[in-house]
Amino acid sequence: MQAGSPWFFDPFVIPFTIGVVWLFCAILYKWVKWFVGLPSEDKGLVRHNFFSAKSLKALKEAVLECLIHRKIWKTNPMLGFMHMSLALGWFLLIVVGKLETSTYIRDAVNPPHVHVFFRYFFPEEPASYVRHFNYALLMDCLLIFVLCGVALAWGKRAYSRMMGMRRTTRHTPFDRIALASLWLIFPLRYLAESVTCGVHDSGSFFTGGTGDMLASVVPMGMLSAMEYPAWWAYSIVLGVFFVALPYSRYMHIFTEIPLIFLRAYKVKSKPEGSTFDNFQIQACSRCGICLDPCPIASDLNINNIQAAYFLRDRRYGHLTSQVADTCLMCGRCAEACPVGIEQGTLRLSSRVAFAGQTSLYHAARYEFLASAEDRSEGTGKVGFFAGCMTQLTPGVLRSMEKIFAAAGVDVWWADKHGGVCCGRPMRLSGNLPAAERMERYNTELFRKHGITTLVTGCPICYKSFTQEYKELQKLGIRVLHHTQYIAELIAGGRLKTSVVQASYAYHDPCELRGIYAEPRYVLSHVATLANPESREKDRVHCCGGSLANLTLDTAAQTKIGATVVRNLTATGAETIVTSCPQCKKSLQRAAGNDQIRVVDIAEVVAEAV
Amino acid sequence: MAQERILVIGGGVAGMQAAAALREEGFSPLIIERSSKTGGHVAQWDRLFPTQAPAQAVIDELSAASQGIESVTDCEITSLTAADGGVTAVSAGGDRYEGRAAVVATGFDLFDARLKEEYGYGMYENVITSAELEQMFRDGRVAMKSGEAPKRVAILHCVGSRDEKVGQNHCSKVCCITGIKQAIELTEAVPGVQVTNFYMDLRAFGNGYEELYRKSQVENGVTYIRGRISEAGETQDKRIQLKVEDTLVGRPLRMTVDMLVLLVGMRAPGCCSSFGLETQANGFFAPRDPYTGTVASSVPGVYLAGTATGPKTIGETINEAVAVARRIKRDLGE
Repeated sequence: MQAGSPWFFDPFVIPFTIGVVWLFCAILYKWVKWFVGLPSEDKGLVRHNFFSAKSLKALKEAVLECLIHRKIWKTNPMLGFMHMSLALGWFLLIVVGKLETSTYIRDAVNPPHVHVFFRYFFPEEPASYVRHFNYALLMDCLLIFVLCGVALAWGKRAYSRMMGMRRTTRHTPFDRIALASLWLIFPLRYLAESVTCGVHDSGSFFTGGTGDMLASVVPMGMLSAMEYPAWWAYSIVLGVFFVALPYSRYMHIFTEIPLIFLRAYKVKSKPEGSTFDNFQIQACSRCGICLDPCPIASDLNINNIQAAYFLRDRRYGHLTSQVADTCLMCGRCAEACPVGIEQGTLRLSSRVAFAGQTSLYHAARYEFLASAEDRSEGTGKVGFFAGCMTQLTPGVLRSMEKIFAAAGVDVWWADKHGGVCCGRPMRLSGNLPAAERMERYNTELFRKHGITTLVTGCPICYKSFTQEYKELQKLGIRVLHHTQYIAELIAGGRLKTSVVQASYAYHDPCELRGIYAEPRYVLSHVATLANPESREKDRVHCCGGSLANLTLDTAAQTKIGATVVRNLTATGAETIVTSCPQCKKSLQRAAGNDQIRVVDIAEVVAEAV
Repeated sequence: MAQERILVIGGGVAGMQAAAALREEGFSPLIIERSSKTGGHVAQWDRLFPTQAPAQAVIDELSAASQGIESVTDCEITSLTAADGGVTAVSAGGDRYEGRAAVVATGFDLFDARLKEEYGYGMYENVITSAELEQMFRDGRVAMKSGEAPKRVAILHCVGSRDEKVGQNHCSKVCCITGIKQAIELTEAVPGVQVTNFYMDLRAFGNGYEELYRKSQVENGVTYIRGRISEAGETQDKRIQLKVEDTLVGRPLRMTVDMLVLLVGMRAPGCCSSFGLETQANGFFAPRDPYTGTVASSVPGVYLAGTATGPKTIGETINEAVAVARRIKRDLGE
């Protein structure tokens, strides 16, 4: 079948066409279903922001992330190139191919298979070729670009360390089918085009050159006979890939785009879950970048709970509570994720779903909090909330008393004589109603005493107050972790300190992610810091004692903490200092009790006051 | 035949008894003690469970039995090697001691109560350890820091024992009965004092222990509450406020006491990881087998006695110290 019919039909395009139609329907079905299911406030956000600069920004991000894969480039250039060559290369093959066919076919009818199988329908460049841009050359360059990516992908499968990865993802059967066909698509395209070019003595340097070479070694009759089957094979693998795509990890290609737009409109995942979660879950390509940073993988060699596996299990509906609950929620995976999936919230919404199946979830627990007595003390406008963990480390509490006294701060002590938990442990285990009751009690307590600043001795409470307590945020109370507050006291000249003669190595708590400058500022004023410019920072390694972990036993937790202790003692410091009472306890346990001392930043400052 | 030299590392009750028994078996033992005098933890104690006999009586008897045995004090052994039918021990100061075999009777360390920061030991002046209470008994004066006699005392069991949170998963075995004994002695030393024991399980396993437990309640009015103290705080007047759950009633409880005694457990000393011998999960040395080889280590020529292999009572320790001498005699005779 040759030019003449504007449809350029040939039976071999059927597998491809079925695949494309199927893919289009599947994506449309998913998108519509998820959009329709969005909570009304999220739909409102989309309506409100759609015609705004946010859409343009999202478009730019979509190009940078979906095609160029900028975030992967930043962390691992080789991996970035692999992803870019496949995504951008293929995208450009489609765009340039479309332009190419549009140049030659002056007809309104121009179905997609024409440019995909262009060389078959136009084995020799039309007469108008010379007058036009040399598309054949450009298309050959693009094909080489994509083939480089395919070669790297093969290499990565065979030896992942070549690409700087110790672990790669284990795939599902659909992933394997899709992966195998994807790996074959471009080599087969290369073969089919080269054979046609060889038969017709056409094409540019790459396919044409390969064609010439084939023509010189393979008898012409045999080469002609190879041509048609080669195009069939190419069409079949394309069809198989498109049919398998919606079930496989490659669904991320078409999910990340709407995700980027929705995210730009400030749509977020919620602990209660929503259909927006699907955009996040299916945007995971299981690239495996989240595997190596996970402390549970590196320290415990447990390799089935990482973000990629958690999202996979949740997507295909076989998530177990064991997988959902085995996580420190330290945020390392989210930090590494090139798609920026909200790993913590998704993990939480799964836990909420599991917790919701138990009778305890709906039971009237902690009702007594509504009528619990006020045990706070003092009248100051600066409130101090120690939290459960600081109550268990009275050394920290005493140090804060000393620091407040030295700075002459009139303090309102929220829970010196006992208080109510911030609710984060309940929340992290999925028990939202219980956590909300605690939240209500504490918010009301803070409101009643009219404080303007709230200082916490524990990053866990700090995170609760700043990220979960919506009503508290409306009250306009400034919430500070004690490292931030002490830094302000020192910077403002209210706290005079001497320098302690000891060297410390600082451990960044996971829950204090992002607050890196203040503790280092404080410590640089009172002691010698062995790791002032810690390379850790965004690569914070959990102490092992995370409250988010619901399954790992003490021995496992201690192993994770031992990594931190090893790294910190390698700096030559005598003492480990941190700013979280939970980290203090876990690291002390991991340090083997009496061999190395672990203290809180407040204790170091109090010593220097 | 010249008498063969056997090194006895540790001069506590295990070491003293082992040395005495070795001499009886015809060896020439050498006691190497870390501190300035022999007697170990027992020499620091006032009276012993279950009969409340003075600890000094045990020390006196063992001193008499080991009279004239060569010993070195203020010498901490840091490495121990066995080769070619002999053992070599090297001290921190670099001194070398050689022998035909060695008995490791290095005992235990007391758990550092500061690691359970929530109890405020080292921070609150009226929180003391069971060892410090024993010292008060020895001094004949049980008092708060202020000098006053306490009216209410709480004794907390399992501090640094059966506690995963501080990496001490094992039971220290002797603390339950020590808590009972000390409660009784408190009521004897301070008339009218009210003593409460907080426990998670009471393991009164030995002869006479259960009777003592009953006596403490019936005759001395000691109370027992099942529940581990979750945290302690200091009040304005330096008393100790306890937060605890009474797990038999299922209710939280608050109580203010004048003094809190922490029954600190036994933990493996540092030498357990430096002697190159196999250790158990609890950190103590591992016997060659737990049934018929309890006094032999994983290395030929190196033997174990007493709490070096885990928490034990004095009686059990003395038995092992006698058994180790017999075992060495049998092994070296072959």
